[in-house]
Amino acid sequence: MIVRGDSDRRWRRIFLILGIVVAAYALLAPLTSLDAAQSAGVPLLADRLWFRIATFIAMFVVMATAWNIIGGITGYAAFGNVAFFGIGAYTTGMLIAKARWPFLVALPVAPIIATAFATLIGLPLLRLRGHYFAVASLGVGVAVGELVQNVEYHGQPIFGGASGLFLPIYSIDNRGLFFFYLMVLAAGISIAVTWWVLRSRFGYGLIAIRENEEAAAVLGVNTTAYKVAAFALAAALTGMAGGIFSQWNVFINQDNAFPIEYNVQMILMALLGGTGTVFGPAAGAVLLQLLIQFLGGSLPISADIPFVSDAARPIVAQVILGVLLVVVVIFVPRGVIDFFGGRTRLSLAYLRRSLRETSL
Amino acid sequence: MADFVQLVILGLLAGGVYVAVGVGFGLVWGVLNIVNLAHGALVIVGGYLTWQLFTTLHLDPFLTLPVDAVALFVFGYALQRGVINRIIRAPLLFTFLLTFGLNLIVVNMLLLIFGSDFRSVTPSYSGQGLELGSIVIPYVRLISLGVAIALSASLAFVLNRTRTGLAINAIAADRDAAQLVGIDLRHAYAVTYGLGAACAGVAGGLIAMIQAITPTAGEPYTLQAFVVVILGGLGRVSATVVGGLAFGLVEAFGQSIPGSGSVFANAIAFSLMVLVLVTRPQGLLGRLR
Repeated sequence: MIVRGDSDRRWRRIFLILGIVVAAYALLAPLTSLDAAQSAGVPLLADRLWFRIATFIAMFVVMATAWNIIGGITGYAAFGNVAFFGIGAYTTGMLIAKARWPFLVALPVAPIIATAFATLIGLPLLRLRGHYFAVASLGVGVAVGELVQNVEYHGQPIFGGASGLFLPIYSIDNRGLFFFYLMVLAAGISIAVTWWVLRSRFGYGLIAIRENEEAAAVLGVNTTAYKVAAFALAAALTGMAGGIFSQWNVFINQDNAFPIEYNVQMILMALLGGTGTVFGPAAGAVLLQLLIQFLGGSLPISADIPFVSDAARPIVAQVILGVLLVVVVIFVPRGVIDFFGGRTRLSLAYLRRSLRETSL
Repeated sequence: MADFVQLVILGLLAGGVYVAVGVGFGLVWGVLNIVNLAHGALVIVGGYLTWQLFTTLHLDPFLTLPVDAVALFVFGYALQRGVINRIIRAPLLFTFLLTFGLNLIVVNMLLLIFGSDFRSVTPSYSGQGLELGSIVIPYVRLISLGVAIALSASLAFVLNRTRTGLAINAIAADRDAAQLVGIDLRHAYAVTYGLGAACAGVAGGLIAMIQAITPTAGEPYTLQAFVVVILGGLGRVSATVVGGLAFGLVEAFGQSIPGSGSVFANAIAFSLMVLVLVTRPQGLLGRLR
């Protein structure tokens, strides 16, 4: 282990202060009214797109942090968590669009249904290990999306079918702000829950399962109950994000409520930030989502990628994302959070060590 | 009754493609312990190779299959040797993410090169078929099934009757022991992945004759390869053949259920897989390990 020197400690403090400044800016910036920002000559703040992107980032913080509970802390590589997002979105969406429930009453139902579903499928699925669990959970994610789009009753699609589900617009002043704060609140809850889990008896049980499930069982951990509870907790948080998303986005269908690529994105975020930690997945979510938005050309501050036409840009962005994925997995397998805690420094030696540890 | 026979025949013919897609996937999974999410992308690379050779050189598409196999073997060997070998000792999640990243790269490179237009390979005999009473069996499908079986048989031959195959089997049994008896792991791993990629290439050539392809058309095949391998059981080529044919049958009968059409194809496939995983995790023919 590297001994923490004075300079490391100083860097740590600088990063902490920087982090607080960035977080405060992100939280407080939307408070300034759009007109004020415009007249003060800070158009960056006035851009409505910022709210959308900031809300999106908060949404991914929830999903990555929730995935971390089952994938990072418990060590079960769930590849179908997007099912919970979609179930949450459709639960709230159906209650609002069909049953005319008010949004704030319909929202808490989303995590409840997602939890119930996770418990139901978790009981058989969590008996599987390793690849088998990953593949089976992926299958559930795909199948649920397909069912939701195609289930019919007397020839009528129950959940809006292929044309999707339209929700009435939630009437409130400063709608963009409202959903931004709601999503940030959800992100805060997810992080707080993770913090609590890591300090509780429950969390120690989950870590024991990750390190050696048989040994955990011998020590008296009720592994089935613990695993299902972790899965359900992740589902509840993800479902909550889905519920907020449905009213925020006003329109949901199979493509935006069950996107297969979210499965991989939330895992990559957790991995990039550092699995099993409290803040790692959140940090990874912010970094990766900003990068995706930047590459996709939808950030207010954007730049041209040299030699790439606008038409080819989304495709090139995907290639870059793929290369990033490969590089992160090979060279930074423990995530970037290590560099911020003063535990280790980014150096050629670190990259070489990462490579050697996992190479054949 | 004729309907039933027709469904069985259609199912088995469709199963041929699943066999071809499944054997390479199962080999890489069983020996290297990698769930290769880039498998579908490799399949489609094979499809585009066949399409390119067919449109520019006017080769018979079935004659392009060996070219697909060789090209994909070389590509797969290089990929494993240069990239995937770097994370073999990492947790399984990493192999998932790495191969997903490779899938993104390959698919989007194909999009840059070929665009997103549908491409199909239509030799002169593509519309014709064998007539048996009221049932018509398309020649292309029939030959494809034959090719898939031949492919599986040659793979089984390589694995069980050659020195390289024995080395691969040794790795599957115990990696460290294999290294102790002098097997060059890096090379053997790359050969295994190369063989898997070669099978994917041949499968892609067949698929290009059966359906119109786009760069993203391979993704469903990755998912279906999972189901096929799990259905049959991991670790033996013959089990994958049975799994592929069984999957074709299930799909054919699933689509014939009135009202559901083909919209539940994935849901049926995955429900079946979860059912098999939970009740008989070693697959229909697999052995418990």
